[in-house]
Amino acid sequence: MISLEFHDPSGAIEVKQPHAARVTALGGKRVGFVSNEQWQAYRMLPRLKTLLEADFPGIEVLPIDAFPQGNGVIGSEETAALVKASGVDAVIIGNAA
Amino acid sequence: MTNAVAGLGLAPDAAMVTFPIEMFLPGSDISPLDARRQEFYDGLTRWRSAFDRGGDGEAPMLRVEGASAEDALARFNHQMLANRWGDGLPLWPPTRERVDWILRGAAQPRARTLGAFPPRGGVTTVESCAIALAMAGGRPEYLPVLVAAVEAFLDPESGSEALQAASGSAFPVVIVNGPIGARIRLNAGFGCLGPDPQRPAGASIGRALRLLQQNLGGALPGIGTMANYGGLRHTNLVFAEDEASLPAGWAPHGTERHGFAPGTSSISLAFANGATNIRRRGAKKETPEEDALQGMHRMADFMRVPNMAGLAGYEHGTPGIVMIPGVVAQTMAGLGWTKASMREFFWEYSRIPLADLRRAGGPAWIEIDTSKVARESLAVDPWPITAQPDNFLIVVAGGGHPTNSYWLQGYSPGVVGRPVPLPADFERLIAEAERDLGPAAP
Repeated sequence: MISLEFHDPSGAIEVKQPHAARVTALGGKRVGFVSNEQWQAYRMLPRLKTLLEADFPGIEVLPIDAFPQGNGVIGSEETAALVKASGVDAVIIGNAA
Repeated sequence: MTNAVAGLGLAPDAAMVTFPIEMFLPGSDISPLDARRQEFYDGLTRWRSAFDRGGDGEAPMLRVEGASAEDALARFNHQMLANRWGDGLPLWPPTRERVDWILRGAAQPRARTLGAFPPRGGVTTVESCAIALAMAGGRPEYLPVLVAAVEAFLDPESGSEALQAASGSAFPVVIVNGPIGARIRLNAGFGCLGPDPQRPAGASIGRALRLLQQNLGGALPGIGTMANYGGLRHTNLVFAEDEASLPAGWAPHGTERHGFAPGTSSISLAFANGATNIRRRGAKKETPEEDALQGMHRMADFMRVPNMAGLAGYEHGTPGIVMIPGVVAQTMAGLGWTKASMREFFWEYSRIPLADLRRAGGPAWIEIDTSKVARESLAVDPWPITAQPDNFLIVVAGGGHPTNSYWLQGYSPGVVGRPVPLPADFERLIAEAERDLGPAAP
């Protein structure tokens, strides 16, 4: 029997920070959207806003354009700071394809 | 998407709701959102990452066993494909012995971290490069060029983070200047973009870079990279400028674009997503001046297309790379042309009339571009395909034959250069290459 030992070529991943904590329930919470304005986001995200508002009494869903939109800006520190400053409890980001 | 999440330093998973691509097209039916809205709600409330460790740790050694050496090799290659680590062609096993051999070409410590390979964020070390180069059939003397290319690739200015995942099928182009090209048998002449058993370095280095893009960077077709076609990705493009054929007064590419002193071993990395042969030579009784001018127009006419590929590098990158063989460079220089005057010509004659641009929907892409310079360029008619003539890259390479030139359509936010430091016993590696491969072809 021939044995061949070799390096795993996929390398390692360094996890530096945890994912955001989840909210326990959406009722009465403040939710925002961060949109790249691509891939029908201009239709889908407003639809989601309507669904959230219908399904969760007391929820506050910010307008789709509450934060800067577009691939060029949504990943910036400035946008992240605006999201934090808005006091949202949760954020939905879209769309990717 | 999980690649991008991991690349941000988060665990490599995320709360996502995915739909078939049809829902993301204009005029689509978006009612499936209603039916699956609970998945969105769960993502905001109940979802938990499946990864709760601080990291995956060091890459382990793996093992296969076979009834014979041939059987073990076959099982190794099967495992590479089953784990999505291969490229469909046979691979060398990156055994400890082979990787250690490749690492004799390292000018830096094997554990030195070069960065996180985007978008997945795989920790990239000199050893990672050696593993990929071993798999790609490389040799130790190739490692300095690969490491320099990886450093350039990981530089945010290259734009690699977006291009790794983007649908536009970008592939890296590595142009090598200085003496190292000839020393490691990198092709600068006939067939320099293709396979060549006399000068095999480019194929191995480019293949190793591709394996890193996939295995560390996560650019797996249809999963980690949305590249529709993925052309030229088996080996990318790695070649040397034919500096011996540069006319007097023409600087090497590495000097012109990056300021490296002539004679410096260096690499220059850009991205392209197209490769086209252009018949440059005239066919009848043209004068030398007519032959040169018609060839220049034929090239510029090919660049004058509103397909928006060059927009990615409008301000700081490149609309593309022009390759001309040395014999043509010598003729052009004899007629008074320089690389600079050729760039001016291409810039002027590749402009697109705004009416044509509007007909093709080009302004919409320009208006949403992140570059203010690009957005403001819409005021210019005819529209220049790049912000300035210097953005065109002109490289003297290709076989000594005057008929054709080559155009690598740029999709390149930046063009990044790096010097190529060599290990102390590099000359010994070259001597061993002579022993193993025979004398280098002239």
